[in-house]
Amino acid sequence: MLMPKRVKYRKQMRGRMKGRESRGTEVAFGEYGLQALEPAWITSRQIEAARRAIVRFVRRRGKYWIRIFPDKPVTAKPAETRMGKGKGAVDHWVAVVRPGRILFELAGLPEEQAREAMRLAANKLPIKCQFVTREKLVGE
Amino acid sequence: MTQLELRAEVRTITGKAVRRLRREGWIPAVLYGPETSSRPLQILAREAEEIIYRAGTSHLITLFIGDERPAPQVLIRGVQRDPIRRNLLHVDFYRVQMDKPITMEIPIVLVGSSPVLERREGILLQGKQTLEIECLPRDLIEAVEVDLSVLTEVDQQITVADLTLPPTIRVLDAPDEMVVRISPPEIVAEEEEVAAPEPAAAEPELIRRRKVVEEEEEE
Repeated sequence: MLMPKRVKYRKQMRGRMKGRESRGTEVAFGEYGLQALEPAWITSRQIEAARRAIVRFVRRRGKYWIRIFPDKPVTAKPAETRMGKGKGAVDHWVAVVRPGRILFELAGLPEEQAREAMRLAANKLPIKCQFVTREKLVGE
Repeated sequence: MTQLELRAEVRTITGKAVRRLRREGWIPAVLYGPETSSRPLQILAREAEEIIYRAGTSHLITLFIGDERPAPQVLIRGVQRDPIRRNLLHVDFYRVQMDKPITMEIPIVLVGSSPVLERREGILLQGKQTLEIECLPRDLIEAVEVDLSVLTEVDQQITVADLTLPPTIRVLDAPDEMVVRISPPEIVAEEEEVAAPEPAAAEPELIRRRKVVEEEEEE
């Protein structure tokens, strides 16, 4: 599962997820993308589950890109522990996603199949998503 | 290249107040270019969408600003859209001087089909979507076509040097940059599907200042 190799600080504060994403909102590598429509913390397990859903469907026909990385540590206290005694240990890692963010990209397969792969991936995520295609550059 | 025309009006509303303009069906725009100061403009959203659809980013447009004549020749330099709804937010127009060369990016369009792709033996990867060129505005072409039928084997690629362009156009991108490539299909290891459960997430290494680490070592 995805997590950073090195970090500057072991634990982080929670932060806010206000507004929309301003970067990473365009399909940049492939032809099709899966775009987040809601803010959420996407855990590395969810990213892995969605990735596997794409890989299982795409097999050897296409190429995929993961456009988010879980770089935020989330801590939790052990079960049946009294409050206090400081912040808990790092439990898992999440990617902070705001509406507009492209989560996954796909290339090398027809649009219908890409839609299906992205639908399967979106089912593994805790947010509403939409299928998007690359922006057209050339005029008619 | 067909001649495209667009009407615009001088915009007096700036800043956050342009939201009102958008509600009224206008799109804020700006016109800038060499030897001219930038001018805020507004265009009708419906006309703007149509012109962007027809012109793309590499087609000269005659921009009529109110009653001002002569109308300048412009290129669409930037288009801002809402990341989710995709509706138009702002357009940048670049005023060109017809006697001076311009530097711009033109789209790369893929045509034809590679036999390797038809046999599903490889995946087409497009490394570049646009090509940076320099030319006089009258020599501008809308797009560069790349014929995929020459790609007959896996791992074959077309680089910038392989593109055929009119002699009046100078390419600024490095000649060895990859435009398209047929890559072998990604092999999905079946074992990956039933991979053993990963060990509990190991703690990542802490990035610390050298001084602190050295002090700890001395102790």
